[in-house]
Amino acid sequence: MEMPQYDPNTKPEFELYTIPSHSSWFRWDDIHETERTALKEFFDGSSISRTPKIYKEYRDFMINKYREEPSRRLTFTQVRKSLVGDVSLLHKVFRFLDEWGLINFGAVSRGDDSDNRDSSLGDTELKNQVKIEEGAPNGVRVVALPNSLKPISVPNSGADGSGNGKVAVAGETGVKLPPLASYSDVFGDLVKLKGFKCGSCGEQCNSGCYEYSKGSFVICEKCFKNGNYGEDKSKDDFRFSDLGGNSLTHGATWTEAETLLLLESVMRHGDNWELVAQNVPTKSKLDCISKLIELPFGEFMMGSAHEMNSCPTGSLNSLKEGQSASSENQNDVKMEDQVHDQMNESKQNGDAATEEPPAKRKRIAPLSDGGSTLIKQVAHISTMVGPHVTAAAAEAAVAALCNESSCPREIFDGDEDYLANGLSSPTMVSDPERALQVDASKMEENQSDLTETQDASSEKNDVPLNLRIRTATATALGAAAANAKLLADQEDREIEHLVAIIIETQMKKLHSKINYFDDLELIMEKEYNEMMQLKECLVEERIDVLERALKTGVSKWRS
Amino acid sequence: MKLPATSSSKAPVKPTADNLVPIRLDIETEGQRYKDAFTWNPSDPDSEVVVFAKRTVRDLKLPPQFITQIAQSIQTQLTEFRSYEGQDMYTAEKIVPIKLDLRVNHTLIKDHFLWDLNNYESDPEEFARTFCNDMGIEDPEVGPAVAFAIREQLYEIAIQSVASAREIKISKKGRRGAEHAISSKGGGNALDLMKLFRYNSSVVRKRKEWYVYEPIVDILSNEEVDALEAREDRNTR
Repeated sequence: MEMPQYDPNTKPEFELYTIPSHSSWFRWDDIHETERTALKEFFDGSSISRTPKIYKEYRDFMINKYREEPSRRLTFTQVRKSLVGDVSLLHKVFRFLDEWGLINFGAVSRGDDSDNRDSSLGDTELKNQVKIEEGAPNGVRVVALPNSLKPISVPNSGADGSGNGKVAVAGETGVKLPPLASYSDVFGDLVKLKGFKCGSCGEQCNSGCYEYSKGSFVICEKCFKNGNYGEDKSKDDFRFSDLGGNSLTHGATWTEAETLLLLESVMRHGDNWELVAQNVPTKSKLDCISKLIELPFGEFMMGSAHEMNSCPTGSLNSLKEGQSASSENQNDVKMEDQVHDQMNESKQNGDAATEEPPAKRKRIAPLSDGGSTLIKQVAHISTMVGPHVTAAAAEAAVAALCNESSCPREIFDGDEDYLANGLSSPTMVSDPERALQVDASKMEENQSDLTETQDASSEKNDVPLNLRIRTATATALGAAAANAKLLADQEDREIEHLVAIIIETQMKKLHSKINYFDDLELIMEKEYNEMMQLKECLVEERIDVLERALKTGVSKWRS
Repeated sequence: MKLPATSSSKAPVKPTADNLVPIRLDIETEGQRYKDAFTWNPSDPDSEVVVFAKRTVRDLKLPPQFITQIAQSIQTQLTEFRSYEGQDMYTAEKIVPIKLDLRVNHTLIKDHFLWDLNNYESDPEEFARTFCNDMGIEDPEVGPAVAFAIREQLYEIAIQSVASAREIKISKKGRRGAEHAISSKGGGNALDLMKLFRYNSSVVRKRKEWYVYEPIVDILSNEEVDALEAREDRNTR
């Protein structure tokens, strides 16, 4: 028997289970419309193996199975062995119940969405424990467990190992609240860093821990060797889980230095993962590959890193971001090479393009549109990739130009450091035209220097300064403009959304008013009919009276 | 693989959520043996086969003779798959038992469950994912292997039913072969739906039968893995 709210006056004779209020339509002895719509296959009579009765059996079994132990998260594999039927269909029912909170509502939640997260009970259990020790933000009362109202008092070090034990102890005193979803969002990251705490000796298990396979108990290697398994546990029940650099979960902790190393080694060795893994000392081959895939530009590297031969390493090595997207470099370098007789045109277009606001960001047009100019194509490409890629592309383009004449190279070489500083600050914002502006400005400078004089050495000191100033201001302006545009877009969307809501509510109001008036009309009509009937009755009575009067021969009878 | 009830003009209906072909490779050249099993998307252009073969050879550092052999093998299996596509398959429901018995690196899996051949929303990959999550398997190669095993078995069953349907058609030509085929399809792999889903029987299994359908996942030690591999090699030679 379940009740969505807790009534403090009744003695808890029945077990109380919490389900979310949006599932309050659920009844044991009936099948609701929601279920019929969501799981049509059972209700359309298409097969003898899919009937409402069968659905009800599946559903009841799953819910009862979950409620045998509400704090434990029921997995699909546990139920499917007990039910006859297509496993995909069973899985659908299971997911339906899970989404509506009819099962697993009070259970510890699995790790968030990443499939790589270690989903062992030890992790989540410790997450709950660590929550206790962290303390709550102001104004939020955190319950010690999902199942009691008692605020946190004593942080148990988990000596008895299981939150299950605590559930029995805490007593069913009140409404069982699920763990606050936002809590794990806020404190989830802290938990990740904490690592595992040994259940028996209380120390951190850094290198490896042994998990108790039947429960939620973790002990460190030392204790395992010494035989301190904790009460009632034997050696065979423990499973080794390596927290060292080999497990998938710890492949996730990449520092920036390691990422830089990884990118460099991939640049140099391309697809040769053995060498790459050697260069990145703390990560295994598998980790390197998966990390590279995760990086937004990682796939570009793997494709063409080994094709690239003469990327101007001098200019790129100074930029951390510059090491990415070598294929982008290739494309841009090729494009620039092919068309450097169109330099003047592109310069002019460059100015026009950079004046366009970041509306380019929204375009999803095909990559190579033959109709548009070169600079627009570059703009398209740069909107689709991140800022560091665009920066790298700009650098490579400049370098390609430099290859033709050596004197501007000196100018740009001196400028790089400043460029790195300028570019690394607004890394979170993608502002395509910034790079273009930089590009355009550099091209302009390039042109003017080339045409003016060959003894750039005397002006070398001044020109870099100008360039620096220009690049810095361009960067700042671009970043600000992009930010503002983003905010404005967001505001627009919000406004639209709110207006839509308002309109809807007004419509609903009107509808209900109309309905009300319709009802009134009906009532009035009925009353009118009744009145008419009454009138007729009256008329009949009068006629009767008149008849009788005439029959009895009343002489002077007046109506 | 089946004629669709509703379909767009482009894609044929898929027996599962994605139309993937299970491909198994077992090539031996110059003393080196390459065994692999994966799923392939038949709507990929055939040029991809050669590209894939080249990349595999490079990644695994195999001698280059493997490239042509791998590509050929994949192509043959693909063509065979395509020859079954569009066959007239009866859309009667068919629940078949699937048994898993595979070893992936250090993980040994034994499992037994039911699968509906006709459920177009069924997804072996999703099943494999749920399986790995629920059983806490961390080895990323297990999921695809499980999905592959399921697909392979489904594929074989489908082929069998196509072949048997053809035979029935030939043998009973002119005589409403279709209806007969449906009724006789109860034999073979498909479970008798009438018996299982009778009105007065329950779909919840008896407790003592639970262990039959329960998955068993074992993590083997290195020695056990070596022993098993040696035995497998002996068996296949």
